[in-house]
Amino acid sequence: MKLAALPRADWFGPLAIVILASIVITAFDPSFLSPFNIQILLLAASVNVVVAMSQMIIIAIGQMNLAIGAIGGFAAITFAGLMQVWSFPPPLAAVCALGLGAAAGLFNGALIARTGVSAFVITLASLSIFKGADLGITRAQPFYGVPASVKAFGNATMIGPIPWLALPAAVVVIGMWRLLYRQKVGRFILAVGGNSSAAELSGVSIERTTLWAHGLSGFLAALAGIMLVGRLQLGQPSIGDDWLILSFAAPVIGGAALAGGHVSVFGTLLGVVIVAMITQALVIFRIDPFFVQVVLGLLILWTVGVNRLREVRLSGGRA
Amino acid sequence: MTASIQRAPAALVRSALSNEFGLVALIAVFAAWFALATPGFASPFNLFTLGRIAAIDVMIGFSMMVVIVTGGLNLSVGAIGACSAMFFGWLSQRFGLPLVFTIPAALAMGAALGAVNGQLIVRSGLHSFIITLATMSVFFGVMVFVTRAEAFRALPPAILAFGRLRYFGYVSPLLLVSAGVGLALAALYRLTPLGREMLAAGANAAAAELSGVRVGRVFVRCHMLSGALAGVAALMAIARTGAAIPSMAGDLGQDWLLPAFLGPVLGGTLLSGGRVSVLGAFLGSALVSELTNGLLQFRVGEFWLQTYLGLMLLAAVLLDLMRRKLVARFGASR
Repeated sequence: MKLAALPRADWFGPLAIVILASIVITAFDPSFLSPFNIQILLLAASVNVVVAMSQMIIIAIGQMNLAIGAIGGFAAITFAGLMQVWSFPPPLAAVCALGLGAAAGLFNGALIARTGVSAFVITLASLSIFKGADLGITRAQPFYGVPASVKAFGNATMIGPIPWLALPAAVVVIGMWRLLYRQKVGRFILAVGGNSSAAELSGVSIERTTLWAHGLSGFLAALAGIMLVGRLQLGQPSIGDDWLILSFAAPVIGGAALAGGHVSVFGTLLGVVIVAMITQALVIFRIDPFFVQVVLGLLILWTVGVNRLREVRLSGGRA
Repeated sequence: MTASIQRAPAALVRSALSNEFGLVALIAVFAAWFALATPGFASPFNLFTLGRIAAIDVMIGFSMMVVIVTGGLNLSVGAIGACSAMFFGWLSQRFGLPLVFTIPAALAMGAALGAVNGQLIVRSGLHSFIITLATMSVFFGVMVFVTRAEAFRALPPAILAFGRLRYFGYVSPLLLVSAGVGLALAALYRLTPLGREMLAAGANAAAAELSGVRVGRVFVRCHMLSGALAGVAALMAIARTGAAIPSMAGDLGQDWLLPAFLGPVLGGTLLSGGRVSVLGAFLGSALVSELTNGLLQFRVGEFWLQTYLGLMLLAAVLLDLMRRKLVARFGASR
């Protein structure tokens, strides 16, 4: 890539913001870059990046998935419930929960692809189906019987300040990058998102591609739910309730086109880091934590505005 | 003559397949079933409670419907409703202002927040989904920040008395408010140029623009109307519960989303815009409230309720697809 083309890359702006913000925040409070603080930052970012990827894959195909939080919560209580009630070993419980998440995603994908009803309505309906099942099974009470090994995985560090939770997150990021830029399915997903009729005419099965994207989205949502069980040390039914805004904020900050066909894996990763840094900065500067919501909302508005401007400029003033 | 005889059954079938007719039939069937199968459903008190909840759900549905007309949506209805309610509570409790002032002020607050949505959407040219997703977070966050998440409970007794008022032992006046707003909306879409411009702009923005409709301004008006109606729904909720509570619509106002879409979608409002059925939305929301109430009478448990509502939305869209196919077939064979 030529040096002059760098500022036009999706990840350039977010990266500049991350570096600049780190310098500014460290200047005010040197403890920002302390190992302990970095560990907290990475813990939050590890779960959130999986949440963001779960939405990003659906944005790539030009749709939206309102149900990721509900699927994540359902998978989380399944994971914790299987371990507590039927004393499943953690790996087996995790596989069951991941399978449930993928199945829930496939359910969404099949309905969207077969009926042609908008993804918004289908996932709004399935959001309440899964959330109701989650609350109905648990009666809104958490499962506390989480084995020590799972608790350790969710909180212990691997090397230096890097927590174990960063491992699945890193695998997901690299996997998504390979999928979208190196694998046929990923290229198909982007093609359908970019122009579904053109993709269909060139022999891409829209139904199969939609199923893939939603299955993967459900799988990732379940993974994030399982990671949160480890981090919170209990199977909380309310896991996933606050994912919706973040799941759109991070990909959008990373330069994703909401119409589909264009997403950036590393941009999304940086988007998650920016959100985590803002949350931390609000804590450091003792600003009301309620304000995170406001900042997240404003951040979405600002970035979609900037992305829109860039789009207009790239297309030579048209659109 | 022969033509009209041949046409009669087709017309009959089509009216029997119409959304509104189907909804009335469903409401009647379920009412009969619940009344026979549960002792509590037909009691005057339950009918009164059901009417109050249905009235609020209908208003939430209207608030979404007026934006769906444009082919967009408004995820921030719940957040706007909570903001209006808290503004009303603040004016009433802090300054002791009378209702003649506070009610219009609360509605103006809703309309102003709706105007912010509309302006952002029209000026940026972005889809209303992402804009209202962001503003829902901003509106709700600012509201919680300003109110410190504390409720206002010292409200004028008149609004509480209005919520408790009963006509004939079981009719809540809130239901009449919803019916009145519904009539006004129907008149807007059928009789006024503005209403027709809203429908035209929603059906085909480019064509409407070419025929002289100022599409941007019309869209902003739709969002202002949506905000004001969310304010009405919030005031009705205050009349029911007797307090202005920040969490009245759940975190970020998300709890209003499902009722907001259920009514209009069941009622046959096209999500792509340009077509609206006010009566359908009214009946759709009423059916949802009736089913919710009936299911609770059967003791399915509050927690599973969401699952049933989700399944209902799913069933509604699938049935609507089948209905459209049937109508198309009868239309073709005629």
